[in-house]
Amino acid sequence: MTDPSLTAEGVTRRFGDVTALSDVTVEVPADAITALVGPNGSGKTTLLRLLVGLDSPTTGTIAYEGPSATRRLGYLPQRPTFRPGFTARETLAFYADLVDDDPDRLLERVGLDAVADRRVEALSGGMTRLLGIAQALTGDPPVVALDEPASGLDPEMSRHVFDVVDSIAADGRAVVLCSHELPLVEATADRVVVLDQGAVVATDTPAALRERTGGPLHETFSALLDRDAEPVRAQVEGGE
Amino acid sequence: MTGTRARLWTVVRRELRGAVRTRTYVFLALALTGVAFGVARAGGGPSGGYVPTVVDVLLVVEVLVPTVAFAVGYRAIVDDAVRGELDVLRTYPLPTWAYVTGVYVGRAVALLAVTVVPLALLGVHVATTSGPEITVFASHRGIDSPFLYVRFLTLTALLALVSLAIALALSAVAGSGRSAILLAVAGLLLVVVGTDVALFGALDAGLASEGGLGAALALSPTSAYRGLVFETVLYVAFEGRSGFVAPILAWVSLVGWVVLSLAGATAAVEYR
Repeated sequence: MTDPSLTAEGVTRRFGDVTALSDVTVEVPADAITALVGPNGSGKTTLLRLLVGLDSPTTGTIAYEGPSATRRLGYLPQRPTFRPGFTARETLAFYADLVDDDPDRLLERVGLDAVADRRVEALSGGMTRLLGIAQALTGDPPVVALDEPASGLDPEMSRHVFDVVDSIAADGRAVVLCSHELPLVEATADRVVVLDQGAVVATDTPAALRERTGGPLHETFSALLDRDAEPVRAQVEGGE
Repeated sequence: MTGTRARLWTVVRRELRGAVRTRTYVFLALALTGVAFGVARAGGGPSGGYVPTVVDVLLVVEVLVPTVAFAVGYRAIVDDAVRGELDVLRTYPLPTWAYVTGVYVGRAVALLAVTVVPLALLGVHVATTSGPEITVFASHRGIDSPFLYVRFLTLTALLALVSLAIALALSAVAGSGRSAILLAVAGLLLVVVGTDVALFGALDAGLASEGGLGAALALSPTSAYRGLVFETVLYVAFEGRSGFVAPILAWVSLVGWVVLSLAGATAAVEYR
């Protein structure tokens, strides 16, 4: 069986006069977590939406390689919201019915089985995010894309969410996520793609990136952005 | 193996489950029941028979049924879009047309329960209160019949379905809850009076001839409905009283409004 992977090759995305992404090449390999990091407006969400197929690149290609699947790509939006009035199980059952999956298995997978009968509007922010991740896993997609899976959550819940994300990649999936939670990215991701103003500034393992400054990832991150800001600005016409 | 049809029914079931839990629909049904019974009893229609009852409630139905249809459908798609659920659904093997059709069918069942059931109850009320001269079978012109009332219910259901399809198309175009409200109000005005006003304007400006009035009226959903009620319910008993609308064209127009609106909704969801 082919290992699943997703590749963006020379992708540029323009919105009118604004260039959100410029000639970006990124690979999302199997059995690994690829984290897209960068300041607000750097193009992370745009790139993630292109990878998932929710938007089309102006130029360049997005290619999926891997097994044929009922659902190739799982997706967690930045702020997952569900139809009110339904319980967590009913919500997941709707998505599971579309791809012949078992909602109880998915709830258990993310640790929400104890609140299966709670209405979605009564779930905490962290639980809602976990329900979104369960939805992203529905149908057992080979590639999973998560947009800010832990933003706005308390540290403990953020850590739990990243533990769940870690276990998703351990199942052999290709996982790509955007995040501002650099310590958690550093602890969890296998590869980090640093974006700034729509361009890739660096791609490496967290350890290799850390070696560049000898400090934690956020120091490398800051150094990269300071160093590369001017040349990138010259290349890119606008932000996200 | 889950096929597209099964997935469409999954969407229908979600809509139905949501509708069952929406108390507003119960209030809408009660309000429509109250208004229909109130207007009919005030006009004395139920004691006179089915056709007099239709005469009493026709104008109210023309306005209230599209209004209820827009209330049921104006947020059907925009809410899913605003919540980001449309983006999520795009990652599932659910074609856009199946999603739109599923939402439409689910809401249509709820809408018909809210609109047709009160009017059917009114029909039962007529059957139990009207005089003995009403026969079950309208064997010739001039006889009132429950079958005429069933025709009225069928046409009213079609008007509801047309209005819902238009509401859904506007919901698919709307970018937010607020714009959905504005578009729904505009759409409702268009359905209830706008197309008739446009038609009269066209007549006044000489853009349409009186000879082609029946055909022109058929193009407007409300006029097509009204014309068909006149043709097939109210004046079926009167020799020589016809030509309110071109009947076949009116039927085609009503079905066309549904099909084109759903096609528009599908295109709007696809490209939003």
